[in-house]
Amino acid sequence: MLKSKYNIILIVLLAFVALNYFSKYLFVRLDLTENNAFTLSKATKEILKSLDENIEVIAYFSEGLPVDIAKSREELDNLLNEYANLSKGKLTYRFINPNESAATEEEANKEGIRPVMINVREKDQAKQQKAYLGAVIKVGDAKDVVPVIQPGIAMEYAFTTGIKKLVGKNKPKVGFVQGHGEATLQDLAQAYQELSILYQVNSSYVEYDTVDLSIYKTLVMIKPNDSIPPDHLARLDQYLANGGNLVLAYNQVEANIQYGMATPLNTGIKQWLSTKGLEVEDALVRDTRCGQVNVTQQQGFFSFSTPVQFPYLPLIQKFSGHPLTKGLEQVMLEFASPINFTGNPDYEFTPILYTSEKSSRENVPLQFNVQRNWTEADFTEKNIAVGGVLKAKAGGSIIVITDGDFAINGKEQRRQSEDNISLLVNSIDYLSDDTGLIDLRTKSVETRPIEELTDSKRNTIKYLNFLLPIGLVVVYGIFRSNRSRQIRMRRMEERY
Amino acid sequence: MSSPVWIITKKELNAFFDSLAAYILIIAFLGFSGFFTWISGSDIFLRKEADLAVFFSVSKWTLFFFIPAITMRMMAEENKTGTIELLLTRAITARQIVLGKFLACVLLIAITLAFTLSYYITVSSIGNIDHGATLCGYLGLLLLSAGYISIGLFASSITNNQIIAFLLALLIGVFFHFIFDMMSYGSSGFIGQLLSSLSASRHFDSMSRGVVDTKDLLFFGSLCLAALYLAELFVTKRTK
Repeated sequence: MLKSKYNIILIVLLAFVALNYFSKYLFVRLDLTENNAFTLSKATKEILKSLDENIEVIAYFSEGLPVDIAKSREELDNLLNEYANLSKGKLTYRFINPNESAATEEEANKEGIRPVMINVREKDQAKQQKAYLGAVIKVGDAKDVVPVIQPGIAMEYAFTTGIKKLVGKNKPKVGFVQGHGEATLQDLAQAYQELSILYQVNSSYVEYDTVDLSIYKTLVMIKPNDSIPPDHLARLDQYLANGGNLVLAYNQVEANIQYGMATPLNTGIKQWLSTKGLEVEDALVRDTRCGQVNVTQQQGFFSFSTPVQFPYLPLIQKFSGHPLTKGLEQVMLEFASPINFTGNPDYEFTPILYTSEKSSRENVPLQFNVQRNWTEADFTEKNIAVGGVLKAKAGGSIIVITDGDFAINGKEQRRQSEDNISLLVNSIDYLSDDTGLIDLRTKSVETRPIEELTDSKRNTIKYLNFLLPIGLVVVYGIFRSNRSRQIRMRRMEERY
Repeated sequence: MSSPVWIITKKELNAFFDSLAAYILIIAFLGFSGFFTWISGSDIFLRKEADLAVFFSVSKWTLFFFIPAITMRMMAEENKTGTIELLLTRAITARQIVLGKFLACVLLIAITLAFTLSYYITVSSIGNIDHGATLCGYLGLLLLSAGYISIGLFASSITNNQIIAFLLALLIGVFFHFIFDMMSYGSSGFIGQLLSSLSASRHFDSMSRGVVDTKDLLFFGSLCLAALYLAELFVTKRTK
C-alpha cells in the first residue's frame, strides 16, 4: 500500500510538471490594462490585414540562452504567431539558430545581424557566449533588418514599422518648404531618417505655380531667414484652406551669442500669423530651467572653458498632454519667443509647450551677457507658452514652435536630443498620419502620476490607510466576541 | 440544503474568527502590508505612481508566511485529536473535508484582502489608477494564495504536528516562491524553461501587470489540484 501511495505522488508530480512545461504552447491572453498595453495596436492589425504581398520574417535567434533572454524568443514567437494569424497567411516566419553551424552564422552576418555577448552560467562557471537576437523582414528583394530584439512594446513597433517601410507603396508626402533661407533636408538629417520610414520626404518650393501643393499631406517650414513674399504666404493660405497642414518652427528673434545681441527678425510670418489671431511677441523667454553654454576664460597663458547656465535656452519640461507631446520628457529650445492667442473666431489654439514655474520674458532688441549673475527677481512669470497647435475650423492646422533651431543638425551635423527630434517627427505624424502608427510610437506603459498633496494631507492619507484596516479588524473582533458572550449568557439563562 | 463542503467551510471560518490567533495574523498581515505600502520603503508617495504595485509585491511576501500559519492547524489538529476519523465515519468524504477547508482558507484570504480595498479607493482618488490592472493584481494575489493554501493543506495532512506542518509548507513554498525562479536565471534550455514554468512568483508577476494568461491560470489551477489531491490521498490513507 505504501508503495502505491508513493507511486501516486510521483505520477501527480510528473503530471503537474509536464502540464506546466507544455503550457507554453497554449497561449491565450486577456489584457485587462486600460490602454491595452499588452495587446497589438489597431495600427498593426490594419497594416497586417491589408497586406497584398507575401512577407517572410526570419528570426536569427541563438538557442540555449539563459531563461531571461530566451523569454524574448518566446515573446517574439508569440508576436509573430499573432502577426501570421492576422495576415491570413501573407506573413510567414521561421527561426534559425546561427550557432548551429558556420553556414547559418555566416548567413546571419550576411543579413546584417551582429552577435551580442551575454553572460551564461554553465557548470558553476560564468562565461560569455556569442548570441544572435535579430530578425530580417523580407518582401521580394527588399528587406529590413531588426538587429537586436528587445522584449515588450518596442518589439511590436520595430516589426510593424519594418513591414510598413517595405509594403508602404503609397506613403504620404511631406514637403519641406525651401526658398527663404530655410533649413535643408541635409541640415535635418536626424529627423529625415525617422520621417523617411513612413513618408516620402521632398523639398518643396511654394513660389512656383507649377508645384502642386495639394500632393503634400503636410508642409514643413523650418527656420526661414529671409522675408517671405505675400504671394507665397497666400499660396500657403490656399493650401491650408484646402485641408493642408503646416509645421512651422521659426525664429521671431535673431540672436547672436558671440556678440550678445538679439534683434527682431522680419520674415513676414509674424504679420501672417497675427491675421489668424496668433501673436508671436518680439521678445525672448528666460527660464531658470535651461541649457548651458561654454564660456572661455583667459588666465595668464591658459584658457579655460567653463559651462554656465544660460536662461535663454529654456528646457521645456511642461507639456499640455496633447497627443503629439505624449512620451516627451525634455525639449531644449534656443532663444524662443512667447506666443499668445488674441482670438479669431475661425481658429482654435491649443498651447503645447510651456516654460517652467520660474521664467520671464524680455523685449528685444536687447543685449545679453552670458556671464550675468541671475537672481530670483529675473524670473517673475510662469508657464509662458512657446508653441502650440492652431486649428482652422474649416481647413488644416498649423503647429507653431517659436524656435527654428531645435531640430537642426546643421552642416556640422551636431546631434540633437531624441526628444527634440521626436517633437518635430510627432508634429508631422500628428498632422499627416492616419494609420494610427503615432499611437504605436508613443505607446508605452503609461505613467500615472499621483496628485501633488500638502504634507498634512499626505500624512493623513498615510496613517489613515495604515490604521483604518487594522482598526476595522479590531472593532469586528470586539463585536464578535461580545456577541458570542451574549449568546453564551442567553443559553445559560435558558438552561437554568 | 447545504452541501457538506459548505458546512465545513462555514464551521472552519467561524472557528477561525472565534480565535485570537486569527486576529493577530490578519492584523500582522495588514500591518506589514500597510506599513510598506504607505509609510516606509519605496511607498506610494515615494514612487509617485497611482498603482498598487508596492502593495502587490509586499503582499506576495507577507502571504507567503501568513498562509502556512493558517493552514498548519487545519488537518494536523484533526489528525492529532482524532476528530478526522470521527468526521470520516459520518457521511462525509475525505475530498469534501479537504475542499471545505480549502474553501474556508481562500475565503479568509479574500476577506483579509477586502480590508485593503481602502488602499485602492485612496489611490484612485489621488491619481488615475488602471482599474483593470489592479483587479488583475488582486486576482493574482488570490490565485497565489490558493496555491499556497493547497500546499499548506497538503503539508498539514501528512503530520500530527502543527509546527512540522508550518515548516514543511514553508519549505515547499520556498521552492515555488523563489528557488525555481533563481535557479532558472542561470540555466538555459529545457531545464531553465522547466524551472521558469514552475515559479509561482513569475506567474504572479505576469498577472500583476494586468494580463491574464492561460499559462498562469493553468499553473495555479494545476498546483491547487495536485496539492489538494495529495492531501485527500493522505487523509484517506490515514483513516484506512
